Amino acid sequence: MKIYETAVKNPVGTSLIFIGLVLIGLMFYQQLPIDLYPEVEVNMVSVMTSYPGAGSDDIEANVTRPLENALNSTENIKEISSVSKDGVSVIMLEFEWGSDMNMVMNDVRDKVDLVSGTLPDGTNDPMIMKFSSDMAPVLILSATARESSDALYKILDEQIVAPLNRVQGVGTVSLSGAPQREVQVNVIPAKLEAYNISLEQIARVIAAENVNVPAGDFDIGSQTYMLRLEGEINESRELNNIVVGSNSGQAVYLKDVATVNDTVQSRIMESYTNGERGATIMVQKQTGANSVAIVDAIEKQLPELMKTLPPDVEIVTVMDTSDNIKTSINSLLETILIALIIVGIVVLFFLGRWRATIIIMVSIPISLIGSFIYLYLTGNTLNIVTLASLSIAIGMVVDDAIVVLENITKHIERGSRPRQAAIYGTEEVSLSVIASTLTIIAVFLPMTMVGGLAGALIKQLGWMVTIIMSLSLVIALTLTPMMSAKMMRSSKDKKYNRFDKWYNKNILPLLDKLDSAYSKLVNKVTRKRGLTLGVVVGVFIVGVGITAVTLKTEFISASDNNTIMMTVEMPTGTRMELTRETGHKITRLMKEKYSEIEISSFTVGQADTDNLLGSLQENGSNIMNFNIRTKKAKFRNKTIFDISDELRTDLAAMPEISKYVVTPGGITGIIGSSNISVDIYGYDLAETDQLAAQMKTKLEGIEGLRDITISRKDYRAEYRIEFDREKLSLNGLNMATAGGAVRNSINGLTMSQFREDGEEYDIRVRFDEEHRQTIEDIENILIYNPMGVGIRIRDLGKVVESSSLPQIDRQNRERIVSVTGSTYKRALSDISTDVSSAISTLDIPSGTHVAISGSTEDQQEAFSDLGLLLLIVSLLVYIVLASQFESLTYPFIIIMSIPFAFIGALLLLSATGKPLGIMGLIGLIMLVGMVVKNGIVLVDYINLNRERGMSIITAVVNAAKSRLRPVLMTTLTTILAMIPLAIGTGQGSELWQQLGLTIIGGMTFSTIVTLILIPALYSVFGGNGVKRERKKHYEKISRYNQTLTRIKTKNNESSNDYIRPSAL
Amino acid sequence: MKAVMIILDQAHYSQIEKDLSKLNIRGFSSWKEVYGRGSGKGEPHYGSHAWPSVNNAILTMVEDDKVAGLLKYLKELDNESANLGLRAFVWNVEDGM
Repeated sequence: MKIYETAVKNPVGTSLIFIGLVLIGLMFYQQLPIDLYPEVEVNMVSVMTSYPGAGSDDIEANVTRPLENALNSTENIKEISSVSKDGVSVIMLEFEWGSDMNMVMNDVRDKVDLVSGTLPDGTNDPMIMKFSSDMAPVLILSATARESSDALYKILDEQIVAPLNRVQGVGTVSLSGAPQREVQVNVIPAKLEAYNISLEQIARVIAAENVNVPAGDFDIGSQTYMLRLEGEINESRELNNIVVGSNSGQAVYLKDVATVNDTVQSRIMESYTNGERGATIMVQKQTGANSVAIVDAIEKQLPELMKTLPPDVEIVTVMDTSDNIKTSINSLLETILIALIIVGIVVLFFLGRWRATIIIMVSIPISLIGSFIYLYLTGNTLNIVTLASLSIAIGMVVDDAIVVLENITKHIERGSRPRQAAIYGTEEVSLSVIASTLTIIAVFLPMTMVGGLAGALIKQLGWMVTIIMSLSLVIALTLTPMMSAKMMRSSKDKKYNRFDKWYNKNILPLLDKLDSAYSKLVNKVTRKRGLTLGVVVGVFIVGVGITAVTLKTEFISASDNNTIMMTVEMPTGTRMELTRETGHKITRLMKEKYSEIEISSFTVGQADTDNLLGSLQENGSNIMNFNIRTKKAKFRNKTIFDISDELRTDLAAMPEISKYVVTPGGITGIIGSSNISVDIYGYDLAETDQLAAQMKTKLEGIEGLRDITISRKDYRAEYRIEFDREKLSLNGLNMATAGGAVRNSINGLTMSQFREDGEEYDIRVRFDEEHRQTIEDIENILIYNPMGVGIRIRDLGKVVESSSLPQIDRQNRERIVSVTGSTYKRALSDISTDVSSAISTLDIPSGTHVAISGSTEDQQEAFSDLGLLLLIVSLLVYIVLASQFESLTYPFIIIMSIPFAFIGALLLLSATGKPLGIMGLIGLIMLVGMVVKNGIVLVDYINLNRERGMSIITAVVNAAKSRLRPVLMTTLTTILAMIPLAIGTGQGSELWQQLGLTIIGGMTFSTIVTLILIPALYSVFGGNGVKRERKKHYEKISRYNQTLTRIKTKNNESSNDYIRPSAL
Repeated sequence: MKAVMIILDQAHYSQIEKDLSKLNIRGFSSWKEVYGRGSGKGEPHYGSHAWPSVNNAILTMVEDDKVAGLLKYLKELDNESANLGLRAFVWNVEDGM
């Protein structure tokens, strides 16, 4: 028994299976994690090697280069770039998308092991780290305090960070910007000299005094006791009374030579929110955890936690990724709902029957909900790609059901009972329904195999639509006939209700009029096919012309996510106090001028070593990192891109600022705003610097480019102590001991910790601040040699002023400087052309070369990937069609509608002023499968008419008249279902707008054209076919006549037995 | 004894099969997938792309007096849905075992 027969005969089983499917789907939907984008395995690995004390150029030559050379042969490597800084080398390896990162890690580890033995002595073992998209924070909170500001770290650490760490799914919670407690022992150098004590001695004494020693067990009588020695200080004040040495028989106390300050660390990263000093709490999630659930859980817990805080501590949310996810997801859900309603209205309009409409509409939720099962089982998330797939599929899932239902209705009208009509009606169209679903699958399944960034985006789209369409096919072949058998009435039992009467009076005549008008048009078209084809080709050429002139391309539309990030740099070496002041100035300016900005926070200063994200950002005493949150998109008139541009003008007007980068959208992972970068490769620093400076001036002249920055850091002013080795050795010293002594005096020496309430705080011994502020102070530092004699630095060498490059960047094993700009209100393709011509005017010295990278490079890569996909998809669709029609000509006629779809899509993009990006291109690929459907329906019916013995023109006209409604219905459901996506105003809608527009433009234009083109083309090809047949026949007859003549002449008889060709 | 050959659109099959016993006719043989075309009007039943409908055939041997009733029933059924197609032909049966 066939599947549809089984379904019709077992209505209970069939309906329960689908109800079960929906229930399981809904259950899984509840458990699906929600995220913004599909999870993409980040293809980056970093190798970090530290070599304390080495300068950036030493690091480059001795550490970075050997490692780069070894790593360069790693399989699947795409790009290798490195940063050599003072004391540390960081190599970033980028691999091809889709590489198995575990294999890659093993490979990298092997390569590093190979060379790590030959690295200079003193280098630490290279650290290999895999990057992951989970490293981006899901939530950033900012805490501000007034009175409790000094104790903020401890308060937050105990009362916020620790409880938040216990929330399920939270990876790490890090706290930065809050000053940590520290016990400082500030030594006065002159007093040390007077007592002849060294700084190291003080640190050692403190470490020796501040200990607890277990002395062992001993027995008294029948008991065993433990003997303990408690030397640890209980209060920082006690430090004052430690004896650090003796002078002429008198004990020297610490208070005699130093002051003890129980205070907070200085020179750390400070953070300010809306101008108030505070701390930043950053929450990162565990791999694969649900961002939205985590943030929800934290937000639920936070009010409880805040009750325990001192009243002056306030906590605000600076960045909340879940907010963006939720609004994006909700706006897509809204889109889906609107699409569902639109499809319902269209189906009801064309079918005019409630029951039929219900039968068809049922297939939408079932196939959509069914796809959640796939998502859950494969461990995917509910994200904007999966939801957009649903929205795209809505218009198409009803197509199969419509075709089946239409044929069942035809059978019922002929007199079959609904049950029989359902079985035999479905049987008749089952093959063509399968074929038309196959053309859609032929388009979407190859999408799952695309590589690169584009592949990461559309892989899920491909799977989702393939699965939804397959489900809709199964539904059309089982549930639709089953429901038709139960719900449809045979013609003799039909009752007309008020809606039917209204429909028959108002809508039906309208549709009938449309049918007959169209068949009249087709009649004309087939008779004047030359003219028709001429007009159509003319329209095509005009369309191509217009798009060639007006169409712009881009990589990906940036979306407005209420976040702006900003890095502002003062000249290198600016003191933190000054930088902080400028930060406040910018904050005040934003407060006065930009009502759209809700929260602005900034950090300034050198990041702690344990602040991972902080140290990934650029940081230093002269650098401010701003994190700005604007009001939600619907509450403001300006986009984040406009605000960013105004901010840039304001920043440019501040003379004290040397560099600034404003990034609307912030770090949103794979989809940020577009940038363009000119990479200058070359070893000579001076030459490449000069070239970069020239390039910067040129790029500044290009319209639509903003934030032009040179990647190379400014040369840093510094003081260098140049010891005389001879003098050192004469005094019994060496570089290491001398250097150590200087470091201890300036940076401080931490040898012991102060314990209180289970927490440990560093005790740092160093020179009092007022004794380390001038060059003389440094020259006066006393270094004690092993004989205990103190020698001043000025007697061992000299302190000179110099400058050095703090960091050397390399890419593909060459030194690189990149000049980078981000785009604003101008298409990437135009800017890219201008940049290329700017490069060609440069005078590039030998040994140096220049290349464009950035979004342009990604764009070209993605476009070529998608171009290949387009080719494969078109070929596959042709194969499906050719095997369905068992002909090479008919598929060709049908495929002719694709170019028109493309032109229509591009024209609509041009008309709305949107450039063509990745999403538009994906739309074009989808069009290939969607527009051929109309052609299939038309050509199939024309063929059927001809097989029934009609002449070509009659067949074409008849088919056109009878197929217009199904074509219009399926096309309109698809087009109208896209409208919410295309005009979407919700957050994150920018991404899908292009796709929606492409499909609407393509479908509309190609449907109009194909409704005329296909009848005309068919009559041309069909007519040629008939002529060919006739010619063959004619030849056959003339051959027959010739043979006959030959025989006749041979027999020498005359006869009138000729068949005249004209008589046939 | 008469042989009645019923050629019917497959949509009629289950109905006729059920109603034969009501008419007190027990024995019959049937064929699925029977193709053909009527001499007068009506759509061809070829099971092809152009003419997808398919006939079934039922051959039943009945007592002479039952023929009229059967034909009357079939005629009514045919009138109900003339477009589907239903025809019956009656033979004499010479002998049997």
